[in-house]
Amino acid sequence: MIVSFIPILAVDVIGSVAMVVIALLCFYKARILRGLDPDNAVFLYLLWISTGFMIFAVSRSFGHILKQFLILTATPDIWYAISSYSGSINTASFMLVGLITLFFNQSWNINEKILSGRKKLEDTHIELINLNQTLEHKVIERTERLTSSEHKARRIFEQSLDTIVVIDEQFNISEINQAGVVLTGYNKNEMLAKKMGLKDFMARASEWERICSLLETHEYILNEETDFLRPDYTQVRVLITGGVDYGAFGCGKTFHFIIKNINDKKQMEQQIAQADKLAALGELSAGVAHEINNPLGIILGYTQLMLKEDSGFEEDLKTIEKHVKNCKRVVSDLLSFSRKGTLEMSHLDVTSVIDDVIKFLGNHTDFRNVEIQLSVDREEPLIIHGNGQELSQVIINLMINACHAVNKKGRIEVSAEKVDNNEIFIIVKDNGSGIRKKDFPRIFDPFFTTKPVGQGTGLGLSVGYGIIRRHGGDITARNRKEKGAAFTISFPAAAPV
Amino acid sequence: MQKKPPYSTQMMFRVCLVMAVTIFILQPFNAYAIQLHASSEGIITHQIGHMFFLFSMVVLIFTITGKGLDRQKGWRRIQYSAFFFILWNLDTITAHFFDNQIHAVQIENISFEKIRVVTNNNSSALAWIYYSLKLDHLLCVPAMLFLYKGLSRLVKDQQQITAKKDTP
Repeated sequence: MIVSFIPILAVDVIGSVAMVVIALLCFYKARILRGLDPDNAVFLYLLWISTGFMIFAVSRSFGHILKQFLILTATPDIWYAISSYSGSINTASFMLVGLITLFFNQSWNINEKILSGRKKLEDTHIELINLNQTLEHKVIERTERLTSSEHKARRIFEQSLDTIVVIDEQFNISEINQAGVVLTGYNKNEMLAKKMGLKDFMARASEWERICSLLETHEYILNEETDFLRPDYTQVRVLITGGVDYGAFGCGKTFHFIIKNINDKKQMEQQIAQADKLAALGELSAGVAHEINNPLGIILGYTQLMLKEDSGFEEDLKTIEKHVKNCKRVVSDLLSFSRKGTLEMSHLDVTSVIDDVIKFLGNHTDFRNVEIQLSVDREEPLIIHGNGQELSQVIINLMINACHAVNKKGRIEVSAEKVDNNEIFIIVKDNGSGIRKKDFPRIFDPFFTTKPVGQGTGLGLSVGYGIIRRHGGDITARNRKEKGAAFTISFPAAAPV
Repeated sequence: MQKKPPYSTQMMFRVCLVMAVTIFILQPFNAYAIQLHASSEGIITHQIGHMFFLFSMVVLIFTITGKGLDRQKGWRRIQYSAFFFILWNLDTITAHFFDNQIHAVQIENISFEKIRVVTNNNSSALAWIYYSLKLDHLLCVPAMLFLYKGLSRLVKDQQQITAKKDTP
């Protein structure tokens, strides 16, 4: 049967070329696929398959095209000579493709294992990230809490009004707060540089030894009272509480102390005790004065009656009269110190009272060589509710005492001011010898005087104290830093009329 | 950047080596070995190769279905490709059976445009069947085309997966 060769030729040649082109494209696509996930065993398998098909397509198409070419060029002998090679290569190539194809299941299983392993790895990775995030959050949270706690502790340390001090094993200060700097009077850097310890603040070395001994025995001390000596040689009464800290996280042993300044409290206690004592003395004086006053009146009366008659004892009677009058004056002062009755009280201008007193004393012979400095706030009325005569008496007493303290040739400063709008202060200062420390507790006691016998009754300050207390005020005495003493009277301010 | 595993090039090298050895072994020279081989050995080997290829394509189709991959368009196209390769193998096996094995058909070139299909019993049906069997590229080209389309689809799917992964 004779048939057309063209369809066979066309399909053969075009098909062969198409096979080669498509096989190459398959190989190209398989390479892309493999590149997208190099760990995927199935994609590797597809690359092998594509490679197999490429070899198959090239070898087969080459054979077919060559065959057609040789037959058409009337050289079939050459084709017959090489056809065996072409056929063999062709056989080998599609057997290879078949062989590779059969490995699909194995490739799939390997890929499944890889994917499963990768999934587990990813899950573990996510878990690890979550754990890491949780850990980071916890670290952040705890760091914040630690910072907050540290900040709180630091604020307590810095802002505390009591002294907080940390001392190392060698008893040198390693930390001290601002209250400690104020209390001790030393500069913080100086304390650290000089390696100072609590011992250096103690007024008495024996006190430190006692505290050390207590620390060794009990490892703590509780409310131990002692005195600190400041660089300006003033003493401060303090209350110390402390203990040993053996440290943590590699820190060394330290001692922590909290030191309270009880100077003011002690002074107040002393003042209260003084006031109580003076009140008791007032009661006693009033009783005694009342009992003595009547017999003295009778003695004085009879003495004066006898003086009217010519008895021949006029000189003796006058001596009796003079001393009885002295006694009556003392009794009167005692009654004045302890007086409890009502006074004629009115609104009083402190400035005018002081002016009158200074004017009066300026003419006194004792004040001729005394420089009186007056410092009064005249812009604001200094009004109190009181008795002008008694207030004058108190200021005169203080001025006379000051005059004696400066031996009648020194300087006396008188000042008056309103503080915080509700308290008026009158301060009398001198530059004399000051008050001896041992005399402080007794200066307001009746009959206490440092003047020679016969020159003072010792009732001036006690009478003044009684007057001021009756006015609802207070009087305190102190030695000045420079020289001399200062008496401060305070009154509650009254509203101006 | 992921490092490409070194075993892929190694495997390629091994495949090439196996091919080279196979080609050398299958050279159509006289095998001066202990046993002489008949000349029909070549066509038998070729036919076995076609059958093996056919068998592997059948296995591939069932494996893809078995793994449930036929739900994916790419793998379904690869299945179609395998199916066309099966048809192509059947075509070629039949053609080789007629011309090389039982020599029932022969082709003689008359001119550039004409050929004569000579059958042993002058059966025109056999001649026509053989003529149509010679148009085997009509089966293997679509097979190859389906393979290409399948791979293209797999590439596209994989690119989408990668893009999804990369999207924060």
